[in-house]
Amino acid sequence: MLRRLDCLSFEMWAEKYRPKALDDMVDQKEIVERLKSFVKSRNVPHCIFAGPPGTGKTTAALCLARDLYGEVYREHIMELNASDERGINVVRETVKTFARVRSIGEIPFKIMILDESDNMTTDAQQALRRTMERYTETCRFILIANYSGKIIEPIQSRCAPFRFTFLPREEHDEYLKHIAEHEHIKLLEDGLDAIFEVCGGDLRKAINTLQAAASLNKPVDAKVVYSIAGRAHPADVQKMIEMAVKGNFLEARKQLRGMIQKYGVAGSDIIRQIHLEIFKVEIPEPLKIKLADVVGEIDYRLVEGADEEVQLSALLARLVEAGYELKKAS
Amino acid sequence: MQSLYAAWTLKHKPTSLAQVVGNKEAIQKFVDWVKSWEKGVPKKRAAFFYGPPGIGKTVTVEAFANDSRMELVEKNASDYRTEDAINRFAGLASQYGSLFGVKRIVLLDELDGLTGTADRGGVKAITDIAKNAQVPIVLIANNAYDPRFSNLRNYCLLIQFKKPPAGEVMKHLRRICESEEIQVEENALKFIAQRSEGDVRSAVNDFQALAQGKRKLIYEDVSWLAYRDRQESIFSVLRMIIYGRTCSSAKRAVDMADVDIDMLFEWIYENAPAHLTDPHDLVRAMDSLSMADVYRGRIRSTRDWSFTRYVIDFMTAGVAMARQNTKASGWIPFKFPQRIQMLSRSKAQRAMQLNIGYKIKRKCHISAVRASKEFLPYLRIIFKNNAEMAAGLAKWLDLDQKMIEHLASSEEKAKAIAELVR
Repeated sequence: MLRRLDCLSFEMWAEKYRPKALDDMVDQKEIVERLKSFVKSRNVPHCIFAGPPGTGKTTAALCLARDLYGEVYREHIMELNASDERGINVVRETVKTFARVRSIGEIPFKIMILDESDNMTTDAQQALRRTMERYTETCRFILIANYSGKIIEPIQSRCAPFRFTFLPREEHDEYLKHIAEHEHIKLLEDGLDAIFEVCGGDLRKAINTLQAAASLNKPVDAKVVYSIAGRAHPADVQKMIEMAVKGNFLEARKQLRGMIQKYGVAGSDIIRQIHLEIFKVEIPEPLKIKLADVVGEIDYRLVEGADEEVQLSALLARLVEAGYELKKAS
Repeated sequence: MQSLYAAWTLKHKPTSLAQVVGNKEAIQKFVDWVKSWEKGVPKKRAAFFYGPPGIGKTVTVEAFANDSRMELVEKNASDYRTEDAINRFAGLASQYGSLFGVKRIVLLDELDGLTGTADRGGVKAITDIAKNAQVPIVLIANNAYDPRFSNLRNYCLLIQFKKPPAGEVMKHLRRICESEEIQVEENALKFIAQRSEGDVRSAVNDFQALAQGKRKLIYEDVSWLAYRDRQESIFSVLRMIIYGRTCSSAKRAVDMADVDIDMLFEWIYENAPAHLTDPHDLVRAMDSLSMADVYRGRIRSTRDWSFTRYVIDFMTAGVAMARQNTKASGWIPFKFPQRIQMLSRSKAQRAMQLNIGYKIKRKCHISAVRASKEFLPYLRIIFKNNAEMAAGLAKWLDLDQKMIEHLASSEEKAKAIAELVR
């Protein structure tokens, strides 16, 4: 029988187990120490938190705010997401309105957390730069980004940089074991290995994978993890590559289109898998390293925000060519 | 009943010069020339009207004859094919003066229709007539500068007819509206007029096709025409690009395209690979398109639209130059960009995903866009496998019935989860 819901409380674990204070943060030790010194001196400069996804950037910003302002921290901060607030005017107006009003309380400034700020256009960044200068007294900015290089130089030079890195394996494992224990899940060693392999140190992804795996109500081993990863991202990259190598570009592109549009698979995930596959697939050996060069170039373009399907299908065309060379050679 | 189905180009043909659309200068030149006959045979005995089709060359002569009560003897290319035939007709028309005390004017229409060997001698016969005419002769052709007419031109007063502006065409259409008692929206009329590009005859034909039998014509009734045109023109544009031999001819295709650069990109991206069957050609074409896309990104990040020229270079000239081995063989149909079609089909689904993304955003400090990519796949698995956990999450995230259904992927499961939420 199903239990009544009142006794159940489910949250996304990624949120439930998010550290609440800087002291709770197990990783990014150096960064945490510096942030703690800000809290101690009751002063925070403008900051840039840069690093790959799932490494604790947003968490660090929120912990800093909570340590600084106490439980009422929400009244003193604002979170804005560049991906959702596309219009430069929205960003400009909202940011300005928030920044110029003085905070009431012991600490004379508020904190504006600008997440995914590498998605802001250059124009919006220029506008932001002026706002940052003008309202420094009343508002400090924490810019969060995957790539700090996409933030314009004048802003970078006004901010204290913090570089977040993927969690080391031990801390990654410790974290997941801690969650498994609390949620009464049997997490096996090979399951843990599999999660690390699939998620590559992205803790949010790792926790989401663990929770989805737990929903199956059986011990979480490698097999379960791989099946979850496969279902979450049904990127049948292998099949797509085979299709291309056989010379059927149009069909391969159609599969790619399905992955991106129907299943929302990220281009970066597809390209990572392609990179693994090209060394396994049967094509002339010297071509493999040439292909790797193309893969790298296209990976870079995707980071820069190019069209996923167009770029990846250019790669598919290369595979068609490689398959053709193989046929000619044999 | 007959008048109901009469072609409006005939039914509403101008009967007086005042009704003729545009070309006021040309008409005046013509009128002055005819009047000069009153003072004796002028130096140039023939007037040569030339200009694109459907802009009122023939109508001008007819309306003038009507206004000045002259007898009009009219022949066109289908009537005279050989020297003999022309001489028979022209001799009759030009050598005799007026029969009934009425002045006569002779019109030889559609000279372009005289072709090659079949009409051998035809132009020579006409030239003889122009030299010796005793009454005003009007010759009409689209292109007076055809080399065949080089000698004939010497004996003619050349009068060029130009495409009338859309405003003039609209005036003419409005006159038809009044007479047919049809109410027409101004922008519908404008659309037809502009689309005809000065060809009044085709404008009237289009107008009749759209308006006949209606009391009222609105913009929506006519705008679909644009799509028909575009379909046809985009195909020839694509042909120019994919099978282009020079960079400049491929680049010129952009000006002919009736769609914007982004949409043209989609058309090329969809169709070029199907045509380029050689793997090396395919690689070159796709490389070029991906470079065009890189430049689109540079436009986005710098907001500098001048980079558009490189986008155009790569998507047109780049694709044209890609074809080195593929032969143009067989007929491959052009397709509407499939991913645009797919995008619009999955629009509702993507909107739903984003809405769920917003719910996640409220709880999880992540953008809705990212949330829909990073959380949704896992939520789907949970909703499929574990109703309890799903219900708890649905409650926590404050998902509505529709969202639960979307995530659960089956109605039964959605029901079970919703039951638990309650």
